Amino acid sequence: MKKSNIATLIVFFLLIPVTLFFGSKLPGRGYYITGTAIIIELMIPFFMAFEGRRPQARELVVIAVMCAIAIAGRAAIPIPNFKAIFAIIMLSGIAFGPEAGFMVGAISAFASNFFYGQGAYTPWQMMAYGAGGMLAGFCFAKGRLPQKPLVMAVFGFLATILWVGPLLDCSHIFLMVSVINWDSIIAAFVSGFPVNLSQGICTVLVMLLFARPLLDKLDRIKGKYGMMEGENGL
Amino acid sequence: MAHFQIKDLSFSYPTAKGRKSLDGINLSIEKGEYIVLCGKSGSGKTTLLRQLKSVLAPHGKKTGEILFNGTPIEKVESRDQSAKIGYVMQNPDDQIVTDKVWHELAFGLESLGCDQKTMRARVAEMACYFGIQDWFNRDVANLSGGQKQLLNLASIMAMQPEVLILDEPTSQLDPIAASDFLNTVRKINIELGTTVIITEHRLEDIFPYADRAIVMDGGKVIADDIPRNIGKLLYEQKNDMFAAMPTPVRVFYGAEGSGDCPLTVREGRTWLSKTYPEPTISTLPAEELDDEIEKPALSLKELWFRYEKDSPDVLRGVSAEVPTGTLYAIVGGNGAGKSTTLKAVCGICKPYRGKVKVFGKPVDKYKSSELFGGCLAMLPQDPKSLFVKKTVREDLTEMTKDEKRIAEIAAVCEIESLLGSHPYDLSGGEQQRAALAKVLLTSPKLLLLDEPTKGIDSFFKEKLADILCKLKEQGITIVMVSHDVEFCAKYADMVSMFFDGQMLTTDTPRRFFGNNSFYTTAANRMSRHVFSMAVTAEDVVELYGQNMGAEV
Amino acid sequence: MWAAVTGKTMRYDAFSKCHPAVNFLFFVGAIGMSVVIQHPAYLLAGIITGAIYYLLLNGKKGWKTILGLLPMFMILTVINPLFNTLGATPLFHFGSRPYTLEALFYGAALASMFVIMMLWFGCYNKVLTSDKFTCLFGNLIPSISLLLVMVFRIVPNFIRKTQQIIGARKSIGKGISENATTKEKLQDGGTVLGSLTSWALEGSVVTGDSMRARGYGAAKRSSFMMYRMTGTDWILLAVMLVLIGATIVAACLGQFAATFVPAIQLAPVSWGLAAYTCYLLIPTALHIKETIQWHISRSKI
Repeated sequence: MKKSNIATLIVFFLLIPVTLFFGSKLPGRGYYITGTAIIIELMIPFFMAFEGRRPQARELVVIAVMCAIAIAGRAAIPIPNFKAIFAIIMLSGIAFGPEAGFMVGAISAFASNFFYGQGAYTPWQMMAYGAGGMLAGFCFAKGRLPQKPLVMAVFGFLATILWVGPLLDCSHIFLMVSVINWDSIIAAFVSGFPVNLSQGICTVLVMLLFARPLLDKLDRIKGKYGMMEGENGL
Repeated sequence: MAHFQIKDLSFSYPTAKGRKSLDGINLSIEKGEYIVLCGKSGSGKTTLLRQLKSVLAPHGKKTGEILFNGTPIEKVESRDQSAKIGYVMQNPDDQIVTDKVWHELAFGLESLGCDQKTMRARVAEMACYFGIQDWFNRDVANLSGGQKQLLNLASIMAMQPEVLILDEPTSQLDPIAASDFLNTVRKINIELGTTVIITEHRLEDIFPYADRAIVMDGGKVIADDIPRNIGKLLYEQKNDMFAAMPTPVRVFYGAEGSGDCPLTVREGRTWLSKTYPEPTISTLPAEELDDEIEKPALSLKELWFRYEKDSPDVLRGVSAEVPTGTLYAIVGGNGAGKSTTLKAVCGICKPYRGKVKVFGKPVDKYKSSELFGGCLAMLPQDPKSLFVKKTVREDLTEMTKDEKRIAEIAAVCEIESLLGSHPYDLSGGEQQRAALAKVLLTSPKLLLLDEPTKGIDSFFKEKLADILCKLKEQGITIVMVSHDVEFCAKYADMVSMFFDGQMLTTDTPRRFFGNNSFYTTAANRMSRHVFSMAVTAEDVVELYGQNMGAEV
Repeated sequence: MWAAVTGKTMRYDAFSKCHPAVNFLFFVGAIGMSVVIQHPAYLLAGIITGAIYYLLLNGKKGWKTILGLLPMFMILTVINPLFNTLGATPLFHFGSRPYTLEALFYGAALASMFVIMMLWFGCYNKVLTSDKFTCLFGNLIPSISLLLVMVFRIVPNFIRKTQQIIGARKSIGKGISENATTKEKLQDGGTVLGSLTSWALEGSVVTGDSMRARGYGAAKRSSFMMYRMTGTDWILLAVMLVLIGATIVAACLGQFAATFVPAIQLAPVSWGLAAYTCYLLIPTALHIKETIQWHISRSKI
């Protein structure tokens, strides 16, 4: 069995239950520690799988470039509050597969926080972005969904407001809300909705307008160097 | 035993339909040799160099054999190849992997899995040898191009290679950084005995010191000899590569001189003074200079600019007048503010004081569509920043839908055969012309060029010069910023010296370079003790010929 | 702008010079404990020590951030009773829901925890720069560390390239004017982004070659350690572990116990507070020690 598979089993059947057990005994906002620990533990298998197969130079470079485009992308579009980051992460997943999508998402979240400041939300953000990239990669792999702008736009919108956004809101629940009950959870999701909606719209616009040309460019590189094929399809 | 032994090497790319990029190459390279590989772009230099290192060898059909220290290169372990064969590429920026200078120095050692002690010692050693210790802790992003390329070299030398392969390492650098770099390479060769194989456009700096020069053309080796004999061979074959030879060589054969061919300016001077200790005709007529410029295409008046509020001024009162219909060159050192001046004309930078007038009208009075639609346009330093589409044709269509106009401009820039290609598949010189075509589609009357000869070889330079002459005939005024004094001396109508944020002197090329003794062309440095106003190789040949006639 | 990431704008700070492992462990301890402790005395200790170190790192500019946290503190305090209706002393009623004093105090405690976390994260961002992080994890996750380092390398490069592309387009009349519509801006932004992508991906091929030319993948990577554990680092590490241990023991003894709702019950302040405060004062103490030593060595000259 591969190391990363063993790691997955250990995480799910040992690490997470143990964390939950001890976490429940922590006073104060211990649930934040528990939650964050679980999020980090969930990411371990992905990172281990990536490390385990010793990625090639070109793979590393392409992932790094996509991360940097996701981070620096805002310099290209001179519209305040317009974020293309989700769309770029999802496009990376679509072009290079779920694993690359996850890595681009998680690493761009982490790396950009060295710029904007790390905080308690960092692991959540990594998980949310990474999960978004992975989901896109998974759904569009092997022609499961056609790579048409409209399909990608709808997918991007739904993924942003139903998956990436709410995951991010979870960190707010743990961080800002004092008591976790249905009232406060709903309040957190509701207050997060306008932001998620605007992100969703940005994603839709990017997907509709530039997804196709960007994917062409990514495909050109893939074709030219025969990279990332077959290794990481789910 | 030879260091590299190449036997009957042929290679063709999978897409080339049988056309051979390398054709029956036989070479032997000894330990410690310093070898210059020259040839036009597309002659197979890079393909050959890449064959010398397995991880970089392109896919394709290969026949023949390459032996490294007697072992076929494929059989040399990749670890050994990484350490023993160092390879420096063209682009200083893209070769750098990490964000810190120290990390970049250690990168190769990390890859080989060296232990801490070895790494520390080697990194420290390299930093000292290359004079990097002052910027050892810096971010790579804050280095100049020359520093970046030096860092690339140092990080390869940290692995203590036996062979150093350099593929046009200085094409993106300014002349001063370039000769610093080449001097370092020479120092490595002399002091450490590292074998050096280098391809270069700027032969002036390396030709005299090389042990051997190899000339390639169409995938074949057409000459392999000591540098002193190469010029003769190329001259007799009437090869295009002759234009790339150092100035003294071109003058010598151009004038059909006798004796040993000079390679350096010093040797050239000796040769000239021996032939003509006191020449009868010692000067060329200087160009006419109109004092009054009636209708300047561009006039700059006291421009002051700085990038940030509390940073030093980059432009410190730049004033100039560019006569309509001329090719106006601005020369000067790095970071003096030459490019910034062009940016100020285009409105990319906004000067906080001073006036820019284009055809007599202040730029801020123009509407943007009016200014850039048929009046003013700029070709940026890096042509890649203009490409946004999949093919050159689509990129040109972004500017205009008029097929006829595109065809016309494509003909002027000689890119008809490239229209279907992806812009990134073109060579440096081709990219330059494709970008120029895009710029010309705005039908500018005033064309600004930022370092148009950067990274292109002498053959493409002549092509570019032809295009510029054609444009001038059409009445287009051209303002060019350049480090390339040879190019400016040969083709410009006016030359201005830019220094410390100001335009210091302006004159015609012969007067300008003829009066300088350091910042001038090699031809002038070589001949100024006997001739005056001779600033290009052609000028020197001309005077030489005139004297020859006078003596007879 | 990006220089801030790599700590170029750093003020002098003794703790930042320590080994990254020491830095990292300290912040894990400080932030970890700040999340679970809600006893007012400890909260006060946390806020004061955190603020002092934050000011040491940021100078006068630090005040702005600290004062900026005040409104956050207020809001979080006032909001809590809206969701938490327990508590013996209702101040007033929102419809049928009571707004209680205890819940308000509880809100203040939770808001303090938030403020403390913000302060320590603020310090963390200044101290644990990207190169320290990658150095720390270079051996554990070599590929991901390298990936991070590459991203840090590329981002400033891309920002510069983006500006170049925008400038180049402007000078052929393809730039956007000041009064462009959002649609035009968006379209132009997309073109620039596309151009950047092409450029970047082509460059990535060279970078990949350059990595392989320097042996990437030829052997198992090792990691160059810019930082070495010095004597001071080992001592600090030991001190930190002892103090964390002491704090945990104190916690197990119930010294940190504090309940707010339905009634306020606080454990009496004991030696645990001293251990906790000492731990949080480590960076500040180090700073003071170095400053004094420097002045002494100067006066000897």
